[in-house]
Amino acid sequence: MSEAVAGRRAGAAASESDDEGDDAAEADVEPTVRDPMHPFETERWVGVAGAALVLIAVGVLTRQPGPVLAGAVGVGYGLYARFGDAPVATLTVERTVSDDTPEPGAEVTVTVRVEHVGDGRIGDVRLIDGVPPGLEVIDGPARLATALEPDASATMRYVVRAARGEHRWEAMRAITRSPAGSMERETRLEHDTRIVCTPELSAGSDLPLRGLTTQYHGSVSTDIGGSGVEFFATREYRRGDPLRRVDWNRRARTGELATLELREERAATVVLLIDAREPAYVAAEPSGATAVERSVEAAGQAFSALLAGGDRVGIATLGSPDCWLPPGAGTSHAVRGRTVLAADPALAPTPSDEPFHPSPWFRRFRRRLPADAQVLLFSPLVDRYPRTIARRIDAYGHLVTVLSPDVTTRSTPGERLVAYERRERIRTLRRAGIRVTEWGDRSFPAAVAGATRRWSR
Amino acid sequence: MIIGLVAGAVAFLATLIAAPIGGAVVGLGVFALVAGSVLGVQRLLTWAAGLGVFGLALAGYAGAAPEPLLVAAVALALAWDITDHGLSLGAHVGRDGETRRSVLVHAGMNVAVGAGSVAVVYGTYAVATGGQPVAALTLLLFGAVVLISVFR
Repeated sequence: MSEAVAGRRAGAAASESDDEGDDAAEADVEPTVRDPMHPFETERWVGVAGAALVLIAVGVLTRQPGPVLAGAVGVGYGLYARFGDAPVATLTVERTVSDDTPEPGAEVTVTVRVEHVGDGRIGDVRLIDGVPPGLEVIDGPARLATALEPDASATMRYVVRAARGEHRWEAMRAITRSPAGSMERETRLEHDTRIVCTPELSAGSDLPLRGLTTQYHGSVSTDIGGSGVEFFATREYRRGDPLRRVDWNRRARTGELATLELREERAATVVLLIDAREPAYVAAEPSGATAVERSVEAAGQAFSALLAGGDRVGIATLGSPDCWLPPGAGTSHAVRGRTVLAADPALAPTPSDEPFHPSPWFRRFRRRLPADAQVLLFSPLVDRYPRTIARRIDAYGHLVTVLSPDVTTRSTPGERLVAYERRERIRTLRRAGIRVTEWGDRSFPAAVAGATRRWSR
Repeated sequence: MIIGLVAGAVAFLATLIAAPIGGAVVGLGVFALVAGSVLGVQRLLTWAAGLGVFGLALAGYAGAAPEPLLVAAVALALAWDITDHGLSLGAHVGRDGETRRSVLVHAGMNVAVGAGSVAVVYGTYAVATGGQPVAALTLLLFGAVVLISVFR
């Protein structure tokens, strides 16, 4: 690994090729990959020579020894500023986490031990650990400034709060300075550490689905007469109708044979579409859960509830990178769904850098969507696009239900405007016959239960 | 920060002993140093150091003795260096980062360099007092400046 990096090391780092032997000696720990950058001048001491000369000139002109001597000291500092170079941070990093598969919200203690394996002292090094962007440091800074003799080590310890997803530590930045601080160099120290945080999918309450179903039996009541529980209609008796569905009361009253039709309950195919575009990464407060986070949590509840009800459930994201779990059922599908919701890069705790192209995305989504699938769209609805996409999917005959976490606040006029716009969007969707339910501080199951009472089938 | 304050106070007192006018100006500079490091404004620190140098020059012009002036010069350099170093640490590591060791090593180096410079300069001055001190020193300094240019 070190050899591969040696090629990238710029000419300035040629002097420290002898530390590769030390790396090999520490085979038991994960090797640290070092990537030093070019040193640059901090220009801290610029002007010290000038100031010294001014003092000397004052001394010469006034024939006083004092300023001349003070100026001479200034010249000494000027020499000091040119002395030495910013060393490459020849450090090994060893990062240990107290738990690499924590529960969401658990506190994970991270201990970082840095050892100086090169020779020559590093008088000034600032270490900035590459905490994954999705994790929040809740105790102690993940930063340290120190001085290291050869073979000396330093340790820092901090606590992060685990959040859903797979988190990989980025390179630690080590900034070294020359003794006087006139030169500065950054070295990136790569040490592979990661934690995977997979939430349990808590079972939500029954989710009201709309009437688009498959031919399989399930739990969604349909407008199709057949076998079932709930009364639907009566019709004339036809040969072959089961005896227990003959309306005997009517037979006794009028002498005619009639058959009871019961409302058929069938299984649905549902695709949970989660809005994970960059605009959806919004939260009501800086440290609060983003709308994506809340959508994923709700989608997890919907996923397990629907699977338990016998429906076929798939997962897709609105955004990039691409994420698609085709609708399915069964235990292994439940595990797959849990993994996708927990650690898929498309649902990462921070937005991805890839650009999102709506038209190709929609074409691809439509091609994949089974003809009898209905869509549950999870979106905060803070911009116009989800409304458009919901209406387009609806127009193609897939019944759409929009589930929207409310992240708007109402303390400033701007925030009130955003909240108003969102309400208008919801109103437009409802006018177009698309079911919308939103949940703010209430839990998702409570909001769904409330909506179920309201919605007529 | 505390080291910077102490050094600033020393610079102020030393210049005050040497010459009151210069002392006042250096005191102003030290005040600016404190303000700059509390507010986190690097430019203010640079101006404060410039003010301090001006104070030193003023004290020299007023006919200050060389010894307190030397102490003041080293203390001023230390005060500025530590506050500026602290500011860069603050930018990199943050206010609540652990920095004591880095600051102590940096201050130690600075004091060592200052003391070394003073030893050389004052030694030369003491030896050369019999002759024409200022002219000899100036020539010596000319040599030192040439040395700096070679380092460049």
